[in-house]
Amino acid sequence: MKGLFVKSMREVWLATTLFAAGLFLVEVLIMMILPQMQADLLDEVWSQLPFVRTMITALLGTEIDGPITTQALQAFAWVHPVVLALVWAHVIILCTRVPAGEIDRGTIDVLLAWPVSRSTVYVVETAVWLGTGLVILTVAVIGNQVGGLATEATHRPPLTRVLLVAVNLACLYVAVGGVALFASALGNRRGRVIAAVFGLVVASFLLNFLAQFWTPARHVAFLGVLEYYQPGGTLMRGEVPVRDWLVLLTVGGVGWIAGAIVFSRRSICTT
Amino acid sequence: MTRDPIIAARGLTRRYGRRIGVDDIDLDVSAGALFGFLGPNGAGKTTFIRLVLGFLRPSEGSVRVLGHDAWGGGARVKRDVGYLPGDLRLYPWMTAAGALAIAGGVRGLDLREAGRELAERFELETTVRVRAMSRGMRQKVGLILALAHRPRLLILDEPTSGLDPIMQDRLAQVLRERAAEGATVFFSSHTLSEVEQLCDSVAIVRRGRIVASESLRDLRRRARRSVTIDFKDAATAAAATPPAFLSVERRHAATWRASLIGETAQLVQWVATQPVVDLILSPPDLESLFRAYYGSGEGVDA
Repeated sequence: MKGLFVKSMREVWLATTLFAAGLFLVEVLIMMILPQMQADLLDEVWSQLPFVRTMITALLGTEIDGPITTQALQAFAWVHPVVLALVWAHVIILCTRVPAGEIDRGTIDVLLAWPVSRSTVYVVETAVWLGTGLVILTVAVIGNQVGGLATEATHRPPLTRVLLVAVNLACLYVAVGGVALFASALGNRRGRVIAAVFGLVVASFLLNFLAQFWTPARHVAFLGVLEYYQPGGTLMRGEVPVRDWLVLLTVGGVGWIAGAIVFSRRSICTT
Repeated sequence: MTRDPIIAARGLTRRYGRRIGVDDIDLDVSAGALFGFLGPNGAGKTTFIRLVLGFLRPSEGSVRVLGHDAWGGGARVKRDVGYLPGDLRLYPWMTAAGALAIAGGVRGLDLREAGRELAERFELETTVRVRAMSRGMRQKVGLILALAHRPRLLILDEPTSGLDPIMQDRLAQVLRERAAEGATVFFSSHTLSEVEQLCDSVAIVRRGRIVASESLRDLRRRARRSVTIDFKDAATAAAATPPAFLSVERRHAATWRASLIGETAQLVQWVATQPVVDLILSPPDLESLFRAYYGSGEGVDA
């Protein structure tokens, strides 16, 4: 197992470092820029252009009843498309390495010729995925807190609320990863698997956004994973969305188990 | 050494949709054998190997490797197996030394010393990254990874591809040494000459089926030999009647050119009764035999 772990870490450390650095920078920048936006000015825009309110609600995934607050603004740091894209890109890259990535580049022959069972390969990949995921999410939280130093302490959300959002994001990470592992277990071409999973999460993002404007989309919004990721409510009101976490973890768990079953039973052929 | 075959396939069939990969293969490979697996491209050699390694699930039948079912055996099967894929792809960031460290970590063995010795024999620089290697160098890394842990079974799929003739000879030498130590070598190739040079038994596969499986000695015995017989004079040559085991292809004055279909001893006995002044017998023409197998797919009456 040690050799496999070393091999996998050797392959993912650079990507993980780059994604972590990217997330750190984005979080710092967003958190430094947000306090410079004047909440009262936003409220004015808000009242004159009602669709802005809808768009912000759609982005934050939560209804903002009263005037916009600094804490509500800070939720942007967790729903910004760049943040989500970095997190999704990391999880999709990590979770499509085995078997689709290995089959695609032809190295699965070498990997499976070693005296390791497929389940061992899968477990090691899972450990590397979750371990590196923990790293990038932790770095994102650190970036968020470092950037938050630009805001007055009284306007910062409590660290516990930020950590609850990070847990929610981790659950989202697990859900997307589970689906990606399942798709990877079915596929032979990594590019196609990545495109399919990325298409799913982008569709989920659009569905979540559309659901704020369009009633038919609202009826099927529960099908998208972003329905269960609402940092606005947590940061503004301290909500603990345990139900959302469980839904996301269930999606991830089911995907992970299905991927394990398919990978252990499928035939592997590189030609 | 176990008395059971190292590889035992029974009714082994693998289909890819409507296409047949291998079809109803029964094959035993004995312990300590240098076993050649011959067939043209696309005959099913690599499919058979993938079934042996448990990469593919058989559509029908089964194959046991070192006493374990190949499909269900998991890691146990591969502990004593060294495998070189036909279309070898290595991790581009790896060096040979790094690959040995990782393989050693996976196998729970220190392979550095064995790897260093093999690298010296194959004249391989172990610190070059795979992405900077030539095809031949990558092939050597693959061979070292397959050999370093001294497996009981070596499965080599087209192992000489990319190797120069000197390295091919060196590989043959290493494989003979390993076989002498008790290892079994399963050597897949589409080139008769290298199998003939190395192996002691051979199976010929064509369109997914085994069309011959026997020792090379038996195959040689059955292969045609070219025979040139010089009679005393043209008259005696014209008067002589060829026996059933001799197929005369050309008669010219006092000389016959023919093919021997049978035992050499029969020919020698018959020649002794004839007014013959010279007899030239070529080595067994295995190439023709294999071409005949490749062409017909059925048993060849050589």
